[in-house]
Amino acid sequence: MRDFTSQERLWLWLNSVTAHYIKKFHLILEQFSDIEEVYEEAHRKNESAFHFLDEKTRHKLFHSATEEYINQYVRWLNKHEVDIVLQTSDNYPALLKEIEDPPAILFIRGHLVPNPTLPIAMIGMRNCSDYGTRITKQLATGLAEQGATIISGMARGIDSWASRGALDCKTSDYPTIAVLGSGVDVIYPPENARLYYEIIERGAVISEFLPSTQPHASHFPVRNRVISGLSRGVVVVQAGKRSGTSITVNYALDQGRDVFAVPGQIDDIHSVGINALIQTGSAKPIFGISDILEEYGFYPEEPLQIQPKKIDLFGLNDMERSIVEQLIKGERNFDELCELLSYSPAELNSTLTSLEFSEIIKQLPGRIYKV
Amino acid sequence: MMFSCIPSYGLSGLTGLSIQIEVDISNGIPSYDTVGLPDATVKESKERIRSAIKNSGFDFPPRRIIVNLAPADQRKNGSLYDLPIALGILAAEGQINQDKIKNIIVLGELALDGSVRKVSGILPMVIDACRLNPGQYFLVPYENAPEASVVNYANIIAIHHLKEAVDYLNGSLNIEPYPSINWNEYDAAQSIYDFCEIHGQQGAKRAAEIAVAGGHNILLIGTPGSGKTMLAQSLVSILPKLTFEEALEVTKIHSIAGKIPSKTGIINERQFRAPHHNASTPALIGGGTYAMPGEISLAHYGVLFLDELPEFRKDVLEALRQPLEDGTVHITRASAHATYPADFMLVAAMNPCPCGYYGSRLTQCKCTPTQITRYRNRISGPLLDRIDLHIEMTEVGFSDLTSKATQESSAAIRERIENVRFRQRERYREENILYNAQLNNQLIQKYCKLNTASELLLKQAFKKLNLSARAYYRILKVARTIADIFDAECIQEEHVAEAIQYRSLDSKYWARERI
Repeated sequence: MRDFTSQERLWLWLNSVTAHYIKKFHLILEQFSDIEEVYEEAHRKNESAFHFLDEKTRHKLFHSATEEYINQYVRWLNKHEVDIVLQTSDNYPALLKEIEDPPAILFIRGHLVPNPTLPIAMIGMRNCSDYGTRITKQLATGLAEQGATIISGMARGIDSWASRGALDCKTSDYPTIAVLGSGVDVIYPPENARLYYEIIERGAVISEFLPSTQPHASHFPVRNRVISGLSRGVVVVQAGKRSGTSITVNYALDQGRDVFAVPGQIDDIHSVGINALIQTGSAKPIFGISDILEEYGFYPEEPLQIQPKKIDLFGLNDMERSIVEQLIKGERNFDELCELLSYSPAELNSTLTSLEFSEIIKQLPGRIYKV
Repeated sequence: MMFSCIPSYGLSGLTGLSIQIEVDISNGIPSYDTVGLPDATVKESKERIRSAIKNSGFDFPPRRIIVNLAPADQRKNGSLYDLPIALGILAAEGQINQDKIKNIIVLGELALDGSVRKVSGILPMVIDACRLNPGQYFLVPYENAPEASVVNYANIIAIHHLKEAVDYLNGSLNIEPYPSINWNEYDAAQSIYDFCEIHGQQGAKRAAEIAVAGGHNILLIGTPGSGKTMLAQSLVSILPKLTFEEALEVTKIHSIAGKIPSKTGIINERQFRAPHHNASTPALIGGGTYAMPGEISLAHYGVLFLDELPEFRKDVLEALRQPLEDGTVHITRASAHATYPADFMLVAAMNPCPCGYYGSRLTQCKCTPTQITRYRNRISGPLLDRIDLHIEMTEVGFSDLTSKATQESSAAIRERIENVRFRQRERYREENILYNAQLNNQLIQKYCKLNTASELLLKQAFKKLNLSARAYYRILKVARTIADIFDAECIQEEHVAEAIQYRSLDSKYWARERI
């Protein structure tokens, strides 16, 4: 049970009326000498003091300006284990304070470390490819092991895998922060429930939206500015032509954060956005976590770059070798292999199974095989 | 004499029912009554009969007519009693020789001008009547004659017109019995597609061959346009040829449904039935007031193709489970019950996800993991249990390669399959089953023994691919069929290895990895 200070209680009250509309929040605050005065005037239902507000907001403000209302709100927060931090507080992330329009209140579940050594955001496509998943996990785990905190939006795809990768690092106590586009108690997407609770356990889920707010398309761009604002660098793994990712990247550049990009194949729909970032020079292409760490003066003892997978071709028989050699050139589906390597489907089937079991190749949906 | 009695025939399910049509004409106010549980079609026959008799140049007696269909406690339906009733009226009037009609079974519908139209269900009636009385004479519509003449110990008199029938019965016109057909004439049955027309899809074609060789049910999974439907349609061309007995059974069912090709009279190739996914349970399983056969019975000894499997209503799919197990279906209605054979090969097809492009290299899939899971879960475990092979089709259009392999024709594949089927029949002679797909768990343990190496491989598969327990027996059965194709006595490692490739839906890489 946490006791909220009177300052916090009043901020919560005003925030509950203005919600995540920061400009409105400050507009009201600026008209008065302090927040106590706002409350007093609202409590007395002084119409003339709030003449600059629309009827609806004013009504809401007057209606809620009671001790009873605030008490109820605070009880609810305590019951759902939601903590808050005010913009004015020392516990408010210092990096976030720097940005334009930082959230007045952050709602928190879990434990938010206000000033982590190296906060790095990882973002990307929701419909990521196998390559995206793999690289995101590797990078996130590697960065977390070096003491970084991974910030992501817990969306489908890259975001989720970034959190998962960070949680896979067992040496860090608080490896990840998730910034939601819904109320802090609303799990979206629903299939991430397990991930959500694990993040609360070993990090923080935060949101500037009022608790119980449902996700909405308009929330995500707003949320994205917090993701970049919380971090020192933003790693983009996969991005399509037009995406939410580009919004985050723009925020990051505006806020003066570094942007890193994981290069992709040029004819891959998953890499169109990313390669454009590299071409225009807004992002630094990276080949591993060393490329990120060196920007911040971290020089790990051994270079931590991601290397292409090495395959021992000598342990294989002729047929296996010819299949693997073919797949090294690029992924192929079953029928293409049939065409390329004049083996019968029967032989191919059984050899592919054994290669799969030796973990030399991997099967993807659509009978596509890759090394 | 103002009374006559004509034998006719009816059906209850697939079995025949001897019916006597009695007509009595007496003096009194002109009237016409039909008794003996006639349904609407039989009652309506009155008007057809009256016009047909008049328009054929006979007199319709302006007296009190009673028609009785015996036995009186069985429901009669259909238009096939028009002709016997008309002849009965004429015989009662003395316009036809009474003796002649006692020994000939009459079936047929009448048109208003007196011509005779075809009716459904002739074949099972002829078969049933001839079993009791070989050499039996039948008077049937000309269009039904080819179908009826399949039974070569029946004497079929085919007529076009009521007048012709009367003349024949009075002896003024001689009609030779319709020649019975020779089964071998129908050897050259052709299906729509041949396997050599399918380019690429080597993997799927191989899987299809295995499926047909062992009589396994299959599920085709692939992006739109990958050729699922074409593969399913061409399956008919590699299925073993129908034997005469099988063809007779298939034709009987089609006869009841009134779906006999009037030219050949017998269905001489395996059927391909593809009901749309909005089909109701009675449409698929059979039913209706008269317990008619459904799609699964029409697909007897053939292929039942269910495209877009997850779009079928759940209760419809669940109703398939029992027929898939037993090969027959019992249909019970308030006024009728019937047992129809339904021994078909189930070929189901589905997209990998609701939008269809999961796993595509050309088009980005737009589905969320939840949507995909929900889509897959529409197919219940017990139904999936009855499908031995999951065949993933490869996407067409991405590849930079052009196919240079010469394609095998269906005839060549069919020949191989006939051999494999023969091998299975020989092996299971004592077990009362015909092919590998029919093996139950007990028999699997007896006939699908693994050596140590393949046992090890299968164990590995379970760990690596996260296969479900139900996959175990499926893999064994399929491995048995693959071994049979290679003419191997024991199941070898490579057979198991290949069989493992056909369990996509069971392994985890197919469902998106859980975060």
